[in-house]
Amino acid sequence: MRSLWLQVAAVTSINLKSIAQRRWLSLSTVIAIALVVIVLLAFLAMANGFQRTIAGSGANDIAIVLRAGSQAEINSTVSRDQVRLIEDGPGIARGSDGKPLISPELYLVVDGIKRSTKTKANLPLRGIGEQGSELRKGITITSGRMFSRGSNEVVVGKALLRQFEGFDIGSTVAFGATRWNVVGVFDAGGSVFESEIWADLNVVQSLFNRNNIVQTVRARLTGPAALSELKSYSDNDPRLKLDVKSEAAYFAEQASQTSDLIQKLGWPLAIAMALGAVAGALNTMYSSVASRATEIATLRAIGFGGFPAFVGTLAESLLLAAIGGLLGAAATYLIFDGVTASTLGGNFTQVVFDFKLSPWLIAEGVVLALIVGLIGGLFPALRAARLPIVEGLYAN
Amino acid sequence: MNDFDLVRKNLFRRKLRASLMIVSILIAFMIFGVLAGFYRAFTLGEDRAAADRMITVNKINFTQPMPIAYFNRVKAVEGVRQVTFANWFGGYYQDPKNFVMALAIEPSTYFDVYRSEFDVPPEQLQAFVRDRSSALVGEKLAQKWGWKIGDRIPVQSNIFSQKSGGHTWDLTIAGIVKGKVEHVDTNFLLFQYAYFDETRSFGKDTIGWMILQTTSPENNDRVAKAIDAMFANSTAETSTDTEKAFGQAFVAQFGNIALIVLLVVGAAFVTILMIVGNTMALSIRERTREIGVLKTLGFSGPRILAMVLGESVLLALLGGIPGLAIAALIATALRASLTNVAPAFAVSPTIALQGLALMIALGLITGIIPALNAMRLKIATALGRG
Repeated sequence: MRSLWLQVAAVTSINLKSIAQRRWLSLSTVIAIALVVIVLLAFLAMANGFQRTIAGSGANDIAIVLRAGSQAEINSTVSRDQVRLIEDGPGIARGSDGKPLISPELYLVVDGIKRSTKTKANLPLRGIGEQGSELRKGITITSGRMFSRGSNEVVVGKALLRQFEGFDIGSTVAFGATRWNVVGVFDAGGSVFESEIWADLNVVQSLFNRNNIVQTVRARLTGPAALSELKSYSDNDPRLKLDVKSEAAYFAEQASQTSDLIQKLGWPLAIAMALGAVAGALNTMYSSVASRATEIATLRAIGFGGFPAFVGTLAESLLLAAIGGLLGAAATYLIFDGVTASTLGGNFTQVVFDFKLSPWLIAEGVVLALIVGLIGGLFPALRAARLPIVEGLYAN
Repeated sequence: MNDFDLVRKNLFRRKLRASLMIVSILIAFMIFGVLAGFYRAFTLGEDRAAADRMITVNKINFTQPMPIAYFNRVKAVEGVRQVTFANWFGGYYQDPKNFVMALAIEPSTYFDVYRSEFDVPPEQLQAFVRDRSSALVGEKLAQKWGWKIGDRIPVQSNIFSQKSGGHTWDLTIAGIVKGKVEHVDTNFLLFQYAYFDETRSFGKDTIGWMILQTTSPENNDRVAKAIDAMFANSTAETSTDTEKAFGQAFVAQFGNIALIVLLVVGAAFVTILMIVGNTMALSIRERTREIGVLKTLGFSGPRILAMVLGESVLLALLGGIPGLAIAALIATALRASLTNVAPAFAVSPTIALQGLALMIALGLITGIIPALNAMRLKIATALGRG
């Protein structure tokens, strides 16, 4: 047994040392595999980044109330009377002054200019109630100040500021005939709110002629379990009949559509490319076996078994694949990780997000590379193991 | 045996190696065909946009409403041949997941502005105009749900409510709209704005957007300026653009799809360039002696060059053509499920020609270095080697 492993080690080391003789063919296999991994990981990092931005935005102890069937904030309408009924609803936490912690909100789409393309893009202008920013975790004003109630001032999320023109502090932005002063920039811990513009609900209502209407109501619950109380309260009152969801559930739905789509694009493309890379790897490894035919036959003639030849060839293929996989992962990390992009989200407005690789995704990429190496090495390895000695000795 | 036979036999001398290269080329061209086909369909609207058609939207954003009074004022602007308008309904059928692209439209002008795209039998159009609570349904949508003329369909809105409180509008199908040209997506439902406006609980007397046709594309700029100036400093300022510019800006909102397509196709091609290029070089090196023999027999250098290039081009075509054919099959299979994003998903003749050009380019690039080496090979060296 020990001698078998010594043989395996010897043949494997010969195999690996011979890679240099086929450096161009081997290099092309490594790069082909690296490109497969880059394509896969770039898509997965995009889906992951989008998912994290949106799904990370919601809290379990915040309820969001929307018109039944509306699915997204942009479609929803909630009347002033309904807002009052929700205020009196069960399970809603109250502040030290006894007031319910809720924020009726208007969600409007306004035009902004994307820095990279100079084209118009849909941006969300959110009119928030007094408690609006307290109902979201980790909101901090990073520069400037919060808008003051009753004035035509806005604060903008820092992701929005990075991607779209004209929202620097001190500037005035026009939405149609209305003028707004940008007075602050806020950080929202990387959540989707960083892609938004916030203003006072009452001012947005009056300047956009939506006086008796809001779109959604956010409410802090006494605890996550209070959600069902509020839900049945809404279901049982014919004046309400609204959709009550936890904010976390709402954003999870919003995130899954787009990020599923991105993954559904990425995997088939990467698998198709992987098949091409398998063909390349098979080619390289068959060449490797062919060029070492004499050597393999000589080893067999002096008593080496077929198994070491098999392992040696497979090891060479797996090594090339592993190098390709790691190279691809490293390249994806250097090129794409942290790259900021934006696309239309479920609310028909731009969501700014960063491509985000994770160790788990890198593992998926390296596994795909190793599968390519395994398939690409297996058949040539079998040929190496079965090579008739006499034929091999006269191969060249 | 002519030169082509020789090329073919050379290529398939190592059947496995040739097949593997053909597979990798096939996959690259399949990716090219599918992505190029998708991208073309995704952006087709802007290419095919009528040059004389413009869109007027609220300057704040195209999702914001504007007064219906604008319709008559725009009609009176010099250089406007026809104008119509529409309002987004946010429709769904039975379940919010079954999105229906439903619009409330102005029935007497809508099909005039879109006459080069939509085909409605005149008697069906008349029936639609006569019955306030009727609808015209695009062919594709009608097929999807098996709807027929005369069916009464409950269409729900995820935005609007009836004054009576419900979210459902019951509409009778008065006709089926067919597309006149390939890229037209008929996955929609159209119903009368007047009926919609009087039954909805909020937003009365506002419309979503206007579509206008100018008397000639040369008037576009002037018309756009006149319209936007007319509503400047009002509560609802407007922004008027050509249909094409509007479509381009909208597509750009999804992100840089062109760049993504380019990068993926680029990665696929770099892969085969390397694999095929190296393998071709290896094959020719292995045949050094034979090339020497051919030269001894009187084959000229240029003839050898042509034969090697012929081999690599043949290889590219053998992989590329089936690759494009498979892409066409994939496009056909996926078209139904992508009808909302890319209704005309197909490998078009232009893409096929571009693909063919790429195959020839790939063949020449991968073959040129081995071919030059073979051409320059001296008989003595060739026969002396190995």
